[in-house]
Amino acid sequence: MATTKLGFIVQRPPYKSENPKLALTHAIATQSVEVYLNEGDMVTADIAFIGDGVLNCKKDQKAMDYYGLTSTDQHIKMALLVDINIWVCKEDLEKFGLSEDDLVLDAEEFGADMTVNVVPYSEISKKMEEMNHLLFF
Amino acid sequence: MKLAVFVSDYRMTVDTLDRLSPEKMGIILVQNGVYHATLKENGTPSSILNKSAEFYALKEDLETRGLDTSMVDSKVKVITLGELVDLMFNDYEKTAWI
Amino acid sequence: MGKLTIGCFASLVGSLNLDFAVKLSAAAIEKGHTVDLWVSGNGTMLSIKDQRPFKDYSHLEKPLKELMAKGLTVTACEACAEARGYNKDVTMEGFKRHSMDWYLASTFDADRVLHIGGE
Repeated sequence: MATTKLGFIVQRPPYKSENPKLALTHAIATQSVEVYLNEGDMVTADIAFIGDGVLNCKKDQKAMDYYGLTSTDQHIKMALLVDINIWVCKEDLEKFGLSEDDLVLDAEEFGADMTVNVVPYSEISKKMEEMNHLLFF
Repeated sequence: MKLAVFVSDYRMTVDTLDRLSPEKMGIILVQNGVYHATLKENGTPSSILNKSAEFYALKEDLETRGLDTSMVDSKVKVITLGELVDLMFNDYEKTAWI
Repeated sequence: MGKLTIGCFASLVGSLNLDFAVKLSAAAIEKGHTVDLWVSGNGTMLSIKDQRPFKDYSHLEKPLKELMAKGLTVTACEACAEARGYNKDVTMEGFKRHSMDWYLASTFDADRVLHIGGE
């Protein structure tokens, strides 16, 4: 029995490139990865939003209304629903004049127990050390 | 953490590289990243080369852009793809393409 | 010898990221390593068969087929491909199509993972 830990680092803002959305959809795919693995083996994906990437976490996005696309905040809610750890860099939020109140922080309406964690970059850096592999989006 | 960071652009759109601080870092200059190894804007080498890291530039990406290995900064080692594979497996544990 | 998993999300034409991924795969296989190559997003363009080799566009079907014959496993994100109209009928022989969990599973026993994001 073993676990491979992946750290997804999202460093780009939403909608201009597919990177942030693909980070979230790939991370969410960890819920079905076991079909390829031996019993007891696991792959986990934790997501950190840093730099311009923190803009993905803004709440009340309306991409569905204007483009017919699932918005990034909805993907974040789905990620919380499948118990993915999500960290958002505190310093980068503050740089943009944003606070926790501006972010999608939970998915209570779907019954998710997990919440988004706003943490200093030093904590994200520490988490990166703990991961087996890093994937930058 | 021993981290091999791939830099493939000359003008970076993210500042992630400035924030990485692994115990050991290798900066692999590929594609347009190789300009960091050769250009001196207004006479000054790329600030990337001031980082605490080992530097490598991919030979074929230099030559693709008409850059001779003699133009490469002395801090940078010119490597082949095969040598890059060896670096990835033998000298670093994780990679980051930023 | 080890296992290298490469993910590439960039399109076939333009950035040369897929060219790099295929060349790196070749170099790793040459050294005796096992390589899994996953393409997602615009990278699924790589999976289309019958690419006509113009000199002005990256064309990787030939080297890819040679690498597959040497053991390269290359897989496209099925949803990403279908979303772009790259259905099974136009997929190169030997090119696998799976959901995103395949990529994650490939990293499980990989010694190194290189994730090359999209443009």
